[in-house]
Amino acid sequence: MTGRGISRREFAKSAVAIGGAAALAACLDRGGGSIPAGTDDPSSLPERQHAWDAALATDDAGNPRLARHHVLLLLEYAGEGTPTDADRTQVEDALTSLERAYEWSSEGLLFTLAYGPTYFKRFEAGAPAGVDLPAPEALAPFEDPEPDTPDALLHLASDDERAVLAAEEALRGETDTANGHEMAAAFDGVFETTARRTGFVGAGLPAQNQDVDGIPDSEPVSEDAPLFMGFKSGFKGNQATEDRVTIEEGPFASGSTEHLSFIRLQLQQWYEQDSRDQRVSKMFCPAHAAEGRVEGVGENLGTDSAIDECPEDVVESSRREGVVGHSQKLARARDGEDSPRILRRDFDSTDGGEAGLHFLSLQGAIADFVETRAAMNGTDVADNSAVGQRVNNGILQYMRVERRGNYLLPPRSLRALPPADPSQ
Amino acid sequence: MNRRQFLAGAGATGASLLAGCGSLRSQSARAPPLVDDRPDATYRPTHREGMGMVGMGQAGDYMVGLTYSFPHRFWTVTGTDAERVDIREEDSLHLMASVWDPESGTVLPVSAGVSISVERDGETVADKQPWPMVSQNMGFHYGDNYALDGEGLYQVTVRVEGMTERRLGAFQGRFGEAGEATVEFDFADAALEGLAYEEFPETQGERAALDLMQMEMIPTSQVPAPGSLPGTVLGTASGSDAEYVAVWLRDAPFLGDGESYLAVSVRTPYNRVPLPMMSLDGTVEADGETVFEDALRAALHPAVGSHYGAVVPTTAADPSVTVDVVAPPQVSRHEGYETAFLGTPSLTF
Repeated sequence: MTGRGISRREFAKSAVAIGGAAALAACLDRGGGSIPAGTDDPSSLPERQHAWDAALATDDAGNPRLARHHVLLLLEYAGEGTPTDADRTQVEDALTSLERAYEWSSEGLLFTLAYGPTYFKRFEAGAPAGVDLPAPEALAPFEDPEPDTPDALLHLASDDERAVLAAEEALRGETDTANGHEMAAAFDGVFETTARRTGFVGAGLPAQNQDVDGIPDSEPVSEDAPLFMGFKSGFKGNQATEDRVTIEEGPFASGSTEHLSFIRLQLQQWYEQDSRDQRVSKMFCPAHAAEGRVEGVGENLGTDSAIDECPEDVVESSRREGVVGHSQKLARARDGEDSPRILRRDFDSTDGGEAGLHFLSLQGAIADFVETRAAMNGTDVADNSAVGQRVNNGILQYMRVERRGNYLLPPRSLRALPPADPSQ
Repeated sequence: MNRRQFLAGAGATGASLLAGCGSLRSQSARAPPLVDDRPDATYRPTHREGMGMVGMGQAGDYMVGLTYSFPHRFWTVTGTDAERVDIREEDSLHLMASVWDPESGTVLPVSAGVSISVERDGETVADKQPWPMVSQNMGFHYGDNYALDGEGLYQVTVRVEGMTERRLGAFQGRFGEAGEATVEFDFADAALEGLAYEEFPETQGERAALDLMQMEMIPTSQVPAPGSLPGTVLGTASGSDAEYVAVWLRDAPFLGDGESYLAVSVRTPYNRVPLPMMSLDGTVEADGETVFEDALRAALHPAVGSHYGAVVPTTAADPSVTVDVVAPPQVSRHEGYETAFLGTPSLTF
């Protein structure tokens, strides 16, 4: 981590993307006030690892605002076969140290540790008890993703880039302290990092980081855009609640399932060929464009992107309009109680010098994600209307899914190398 | 294969031939001002551009041909609006992919489309999903303007997605899977300078179309003339400048007892280039009763070509058919087509 040189230009783009001791040191040198310390009693924290909403800031409309900086570490368990109790203790001690070091909030640090299907194959049962955790697969006829198959996935998030960088360094065992607190343990010797991914979300960051492949040189991403595509997302009304995505029964109750895909964005056509009305039509729905409902990045759209104003008869309206909106298609992916089925916690990325999106979502079952993605594919729309399978079909023309992975996010009490069946 | 060059049919007499002049960046030379008062119909554009061959390759079930021309303005379509896309200063060329069946030579419109990635020395120079397009002299293809990184050797990879359109007859069971082909492109500025370029100051704007270019290596995207279609031609009609042919098949292997097939072939005037990506409703009346009233779906038949069709529960010999255009073809347009086929006519046969 520490051997890499960093150019001023790269650093100016994103310290989190560069990572390591040098980036952290440079960040710390820049100052920025103190980061709030964590709790003296980590057992007081919620049993749900994914209980973030109460710890996030909210925007003016009342939507939870996801932390601005993110690091994802794909981890392999270093041992052979099933984990040892000593390794479990080491992982738990390391995570508890972070909870003592940082406030459980987006000003401090939020994190989750999840486990993939490969991990559970270490156990005789071969799969987690009571949870369907399929291997990742292609979810559209026009995608061909590489599967991610690490043992575990760590997600670190904070509004403060120093927190995610320092927490990562501390977990790797590169430093003995985090935010001035001693680390009782680190991940070294237990987990090896096989891939590191980073990203950001929130006004200003996409504009600062737009000098990448996939975004034209005309610097089209506006300063107030929270994401590269120039519109707000994650409206509360279009998200499942944390309750909805929580596993209710079985040994992993209070856990969730997590899907992580990496999506490459190709926004030259989006910004240099599509008009604003076309972009609004494709992101939300043609009616939003016709009525001029979206101001700027969509801060005026309240807590539900005014999705009720988009025609519900998606196929019929698409037949007339020749174009269908991304949100309009997704609004169909609701359960029997009219709730969206997934809770998105996605963010943009410049990993590899390419504009991308780490699409991270939580749901009660991976099947919820699969059905939501099927709604987004709009295959029924394409089969029955002038809308193409990707052209004029939401934002499918501008993205390509490169990787997919599925994970079980256990409850906090089982987050450290859980057995496949904790009830035994 | 080596890059080959295909020129437009010999330059019309009296037209100015500007091939080989000036810098590629001087787009004004390649994009004369648009015709004033363009008709809401196919019209003769301001100019014609020649086309060069990048190469071709097999991509799964598909054959793919890659060609290039000068960067040019085109129009994308959403609903009944055409939105002009201007040439950027950095655009090096217009890259076009044609996809066809190597067995029959039928040019295939694929709803899921193609992706083109351009690489040089292992680095991605461009990677996007070009637009399905119609052009008077180049027919139906996938195209967009691309900015290359100067002269040199590029690898161009075309991925064609699997077809979701209904495939009939000998096309059944084919083209369901994606395929990929990579061709090398030794790009030199001179390659563009050698292309034909012809302006039509006297005849631009007339209700006419350029001839489709005949190429040795790439089949022409034309659907059959009404007299060459199978079954019974119930009639032809014109709406919003597109031509419609209604075909009635009573005997086909894919039909069950008591069924017939209605195929509506929609094509450009003059050149018979198929117009995909439409929403059509069809009504079929036979013996005084409505036997069908529903959407017509995009389909492909070896003898009919690309069309919109439905299986209809009747064996009547001469039904009356009404076709309502719910949305016009959402394909992008080269100059001369951007004001045509944007309406939603109703047609009876």
